[in-house]
Amino acid sequence: MYTDKQLKLGTEVRNNFSHIIQPIYTISESPLKLYRNTSLYIDTKKSIIKENNALKKKVLVQSGIIQQIPPLKAENKRLKKLLSSSSSIDTSKILIAELIKVNLSPFSNKVIINKGGSNNLFLGQSVVDSFGVLGVISEINKNFSVVTLITDPGHAILAVNARTNKRIVLSGTGDNRKLKAKYISLNEDIIEGDLLITSGLDNIFPGGYTIGEISVIKKKTNHDFLNVKVSPSSALSSNREVMLLW
Amino acid sequence: MVVINKIHITSVLVLLFAIILNILPLPSIIDSCRPPILLLFLIYCTLAHPDNINLTYAFITGLILDVLLIMPLGYNALCFTITVYLIMLYYPQIRLQSSWNKMFSILMLLIPFFISSTLVNSILKINYNILDVIISIILSVIIWPSLFNMLRFIRQKYT
Repeated sequence: MYTDKQLKLGTEVRNNFSHIIQPIYTISESPLKLYRNTSLYIDTKKSIIKENNALKKKVLVQSGIIQQIPPLKAENKRLKKLLSSSSSIDTSKILIAELIKVNLSPFSNKVIINKGGSNNLFLGQSVVDSFGVLGVISEINKNFSVVTLITDPGHAILAVNARTNKRIVLSGTGDNRKLKAKYISLNEDIIEGDLLITSGLDNIFPGGYTIGEISVIKKKTNHDFLNVKVSPSSALSSNREVMLLW
Repeated sequence: MVVINKIHITSVLVLLFAIILNILPLPSIIDSCRPPILLLFLIYCTLAHPDNINLTYAFITGLILDVLLIMPLGYNALCFTITVYLIMLYYPQIRLQSSWNKMFSILMLLIPFFISSTLVNSILKINYNILDVIISIILSVIIWPSLFNMLRFIRQKYT
């Protein structure tokens, strides 16, 4: 196990035997797919109409919000020019991938996606879903890749408080529902509900993507730093599709 | 010779099926406390054919599971080998026991498995919930009699 941790033998094995592993994943995933497909047929017309109406409303609200983006972008660009700042949140390419739903250990904080080396993915590529940042690609095989979630205890991310623009280091706790904010001094301007976004300074995640919001702040008298918990905004345990950013 | 080959082929197919069952996606409530299906299948195979299904089987099956579950190589291999070693020590006694006593023996066999896996978890700093581990053991013991009967039926029919 120690050798594997140092030499990444498991990655090598998975890479060489990906043609055998992929069908096993497909077979074990097939009952869930069958259930989803049959439930699509069994769904009543009434529930589909209801869902359709809800989606229409959602699209209407979101298209309203999107309409505000071009003037905001222009304003942001103008302000950035005034400040002589070169940071940007534009991404050139996006690829949609589907999660391969196999049962990894519930505490492993890893997921498998159905895109691999053949789709020109690279190690350390950022993965987001419709709500926020999900994680980074930690292993690439020919037809599938492993994504380490931001809640993995070995993962850290440099965030920015959207209200105060102060940088915060977030690390995983192993629990899908919370992240830990590190090294926040006792007199830091931080309140519950503050939105945290990616800073773009770590050269992994592009700036401007939502990570989560501060849920708990605890002050302990004998500690030098605040005990701050953050609830991730991405649907870490329930999403089906994710976006890969270049 | 033909019988031995039949035993190996049936065992490999049964274990392959168990591997697929082991990684089958389940609702998140049951997911964290699911019983170690592959280990239960392996225990049965060892109890049924202790001369053919040995520590090598346990080690290789564990390695395959490690590769599939993206765990450190050797994690499940070590835990499975310990359990199968214990079975190979005590299989004459376990085979003679009644169904209820067998359930108790399975409980006794699964405790070292979970102790070793939680030990490795703490060494490798992998998170775990002790309550889920206990529920998983209880579920394994509950499903054992039906699993035993099902696998015995398969064995008697195909070997």
